[in-house]
Amino acid sequence: MKTSTKGPQVFSKHMTGKKTQEHLANFERLLQKMTDPAVNKPGSLEDIRILEVSHANFPATICASMLGELGSDIIKIEPPKGDPAREVTPYGVDINGVGLPFLMESRNKHNITMDLTDEKGRENFARLAGEADVLIDGLKPGELDALKIGYRQLAGLNPALIYVAVSPFGHYTSKAEQFRNIPDTDLTAQAESGFPMLIGDPREPEPYNYPLRAGIWAASYMSGALATAGTLTALLHRNKTGEGQMVDIATNDAISAWQGFSSVWGFTTETPRARIGNFDWGLYPYGYYKAKDGYVTVCAALDHDFRGLLKILGRWDLEDDWRFLFDRLTDDPEKLGELEAEVQKEVGKYGCEELLKKSFDYGIKAAHDKLRSKGFPIVVETKVPQQVVEEKHWDVRKAFRKVEIPGCKEITIPASPPQMSESPMRIKWIKGGIGEDNQEIYKKHNLRE
Amino acid sequence: MKDDYFSFTGGLFDSSTIAEKPEALKEIRVLDLSRIIFGPMVAKWLGLFGAEVIKVEEPEEGDDWRTGTYWGKFWKDSCPYFQSLNQNKYFATVNLKEERGKELLLELAKTADVVIENYRAGLAEAWGLGYTAVSKINPKVIYISCSGYGQSGPLKFYPSYDIVAQSMSGVARGTGFPGRKTYKLPDYYGDFLPALLGAIGVLAALNARERTGKGQYIDMAQTEGLMRVMHNWTYMAETGEDLGCTGNYDPAMAPSGIFKTKDEKFIAVAIATQEQFVALLGAMEKPELAERKEFRSTLERLKPEHAQEINGLLEEWVGLKTEKEVIELAKKGGFPVGQVVDDLKIVTDEWRRERGSVVEFDDKMYGKGKWAGPAVSLSKTPGRLKWLSRPIGYHNQYVFKKMLGLSESEIGDLEKKGVIGYWDNRVGKRPPSYWDIAKDEMFNYGRGDQ
Repeated sequence: MKTSTKGPQVFSKHMTGKKTQEHLANFERLLQKMTDPAVNKPGSLEDIRILEVSHANFPATICASMLGELGSDIIKIEPPKGDPAREVTPYGVDINGVGLPFLMESRNKHNITMDLTDEKGRENFARLAGEADVLIDGLKPGELDALKIGYRQLAGLNPALIYVAVSPFGHYTSKAEQFRNIPDTDLTAQAESGFPMLIGDPREPEPYNYPLRAGIWAASYMSGALATAGTLTALLHRNKTGEGQMVDIATNDAISAWQGFSSVWGFTTETPRARIGNFDWGLYPYGYYKAKDGYVTVCAALDHDFRGLLKILGRWDLEDDWRFLFDRLTDDPEKLGELEAEVQKEVGKYGCEELLKKSFDYGIKAAHDKLRSKGFPIVVETKVPQQVVEEKHWDVRKAFRKVEIPGCKEITIPASPPQMSESPMRIKWIKGGIGEDNQEIYKKHNLRE
Repeated sequence: MKDDYFSFTGGLFDSSTIAEKPEALKEIRVLDLSRIIFGPMVAKWLGLFGAEVIKVEEPEEGDDWRTGTYWGKFWKDSCPYFQSLNQNKYFATVNLKEERGKELLLELAKTADVVIENYRAGLAEAWGLGYTAVSKINPKVIYISCSGYGQSGPLKFYPSYDIVAQSMSGVARGTGFPGRKTYKLPDYYGDFLPALLGAIGVLAALNARERTGKGQYIDMAQTEGLMRVMHNWTYMAETGEDLGCTGNYDPAMAPSGIFKTKDEKFIAVAIATQEQFVALLGAMEKPELAERKEFRSTLERLKPEHAQEINGLLEEWVGLKTEKEVIELAKKGGFPVGQVVDDLKIVTDEWRRERGSVVEFDDKMYGKGKWAGPAVSLSKTPGRLKWLSRPIGYHNQYVFKKMLGLSESEIGDLEKKGVIGYWDNRVGKRPPSYWDIAKDEMFNYGRGDQ
């Protein structure tokens, strides 16, 4: 998809007029001005002091990293040998002994070490927490409390403290107590959230018919983002009242609680959901298809979109086929399978580029249609990450950043959405060394060496 | 006997006290112009924690998701999925085809702290309802646009859905067994995760505004949201290769996977650290393996040939144990294990009930149901469900009288001219058939006052 000299193609008749086009061009210029990185605007959480203490707990680490991007002053406290999260990395690929996910989520953090098994370490910890605005606790539930530096003790010392606890089953309930020894990982949290029970195809041969994990850290990132949103909400309350509080995240519940569909299904049907491969529970067509030379994603779920799809595939004859009526939302995956076979057969006749162009051209034509009832059958290439990095659009939006690790090398990490015009998120540094900020931080906060 | 710490935290989060506690976002007014999931979920977070959310829909049509139900199933003439996404909101309508409709919307926007839209990029601007128009009359506004690819760049006008964003970000090609077909992430993860990042943007902007007094514009791109949570870019830059599909094995944790137990249950095990590995070996009664050089450290263990060996041993071991045995050993030893649960287990889970992440709620209009509660627990300002969704235009009287100060006759005039409106008789949009709308106090808010 190229930007023509006439300006980018639009898919809505509301955006075709000359005056509107001018307005949109002005808006884009305004946007560029607002988000110009050269203007050094302060972040949203400037002067907010945050502590992270966690043990192989990525949701806690991600939360701290997101709060770091928002401009806070953040200290990660590790044991003298470092947080074992440092070694959790795909295929054991490391940079100077530090894993990639750890580096990626070290945004704007100061790294210090502290031995909490030691009296002096606990004293230092209490001193830092006494001055902090937020403490992120990614240790076992009750671990800091047993050391007399948990929320119970710190809230007395610093009533404005926001104490963010991140653990598999949370810091309260009887199950949380029984299971407190079990650590968090993305995979186990996905499982407890019901995610794998919805992925994969039971018609495949064993073991390919097993419930399947999402190939990204779907649970860890959802949990980390929830913890971040919870922290920011608690900060807003504190701004008004001066009062801190405890914020609790159960990583085993992050996806199920935020997405909510599992509860909806469970309560309305009183059955578990069967896995239905790449079919969707509410939308069709809404899936991946094999084109002649690759894979495409087709999304044409509204009636007029589906009709548009039949047109571009040259299969208008299916439009009033009695087998596929009822808006195609059949509760019979077998029958849906028949329609799927037809769609797949047609899609397979064309190359990716050809299909994309058909969709694109249809969208433009439909936008200029007076009745505007022609829909938009969306077809995009089902991209592998190598294709994504080559997409010019992300280059224009600076969606990938190269960051120099001091004294080491440059790494590539994704930027921090959303883009904010007045208090932008920023990646100021990534550091990997264990305790490399000890000197500076110990001195600054008058800690005992 | 309960541990001291857990009695303390149990008191902090006692669900019977939630209704008495304050709300963190009270006095924040949100104008929600969004549809489907991505935008509405930004508003949902704000509404759960006390913001006053006005959801504005088109008369008769409303949000597409009102009828976008799973397998065509409705619950009391409503889409239960829509209910789950649109709680604690006021449902007003405005007809944007009428000039007066746009004016009304801007009048509402003038009083709002936050405006949320998820039209295709540029459309709100083209209609004169974008940030440029709203910030002129309300300079302190926080305005978030949620779109597929953001408001700038060559792809900006292209439409998007959850699955489209999964494809454009590369997520689509990472889930599945090696060399076999790939799967989408279910239940619109491509909407829910980006929506949460959007909510973070709004909450951060509200924090910033308290310090600077300034509002701002937020450009949330769905695809970028997914790209933010992938390790592929860093890995690719280091190795020149993609992470690829690895089935149930997480290449950052060895051993790891979803395995079948002796009693035919699925269970997830993932070992992140050496300490957890030693604990697992203890349970497997193979402590000597920790001494082998292939398994002596996490980075060694993660090397593909070493990982494969240890994964095989784990799979074999799990096959000889029942689900219960594995879980008990994990609790004792302290290594990560998770039950592979389904929807029914989630909604009937005692833990979730006690936690408040699945709540039984008795709604005035829809009666009893079970819904996902707040995904994060706040001890002093807990989120809470106050009411479910309502039919199209249900809160028109309340919104236009109370918030804009219009009179009964002015509203009647708007109704006559088709500037505001209500549901038509389609399921998903109308009140439940048993509901006597004429006697509904909120629907008739302030009627007959003059």
